[in-house]
Amino acid sequence: MFSERLQILISPEQRRALEAEAERREASVASVIRDAIDLRLGTVDRSARLRALEEIRAMQGGPFLTPEELNREVAAEREQQFDLPTAP
Amino acid sequence: MTFFVDANVVVYSAVRDSPYREPCVEIMAAITRGEAEGRTSTAVLEEVWQLELSGRVRGLDGLTARAYAILGPLLPVTDESFRRALGLEAPALGANDRVHVATCLTHGIDLVISAHQGFDSVPEIRRVDPLDGPARAALLAG
Repeated sequence: MFSERLQILISPEQRRALEAEAERREASVASVIRDAIDLRLGTVDRSARLRALEEIRAMQGGPFLTPEELNREVAAEREQQFDLPTAP
Repeated sequence: MTFFVDANVVVYSAVRDSPYREPCVEIMAAITRGEAEGRTSTAVLEEVWQLELSGRVRGLDGLTARAYAILGPLLPVTDESFRRALGLEAPALGANDRVHVATCLTHGIDLVISAHQGFDSVPEIRRVDPLDGPARAALLAG
């Protein structure tokens, strides 16, 4: 929920850049600013990000599949969810 | 320099016994520390989640949530992205990967880090393979 109001001054160049980005995304200038804040400062705190990295580092997944095999597995999982008939 | 992180980079960072493991962990670590500006999309993490839930690659429980903690906020797949994806001439890519390319283009990103060579067929973007040490180093150095 957005409840905090913040009034700031920016340069004409910054405004033009914001509006160009908003137009490209088909989004509002406000959403571009919020996204930039999240990207720079993070919505998840730094310690949680570092913890997530260490947890990934400790994972022992397998087997290794090639990129093409990974794509096929994702597609197969989707087909299974939709209960599509398999080719004869 | 902002780049797009493909699903296989996330998955390989958690898969043992692979030459991709350490390079992909290095990429995720640089993003975590704020040293590299890697972004990804809702569509990419949905792929990772599908794989995690399927159990077809074992030991991935919790990977998607952890990757989200590192890579969030995610790029949205917008109406414009989808329209661009439909118009892409990319016979080497499936629907998902075309959506990823279009998401990049919509957000002004022309660099993808991925092990999938299919991206090489798209002239609008450049792919960096995680195993390409010099290119990876240049990317992470910004």
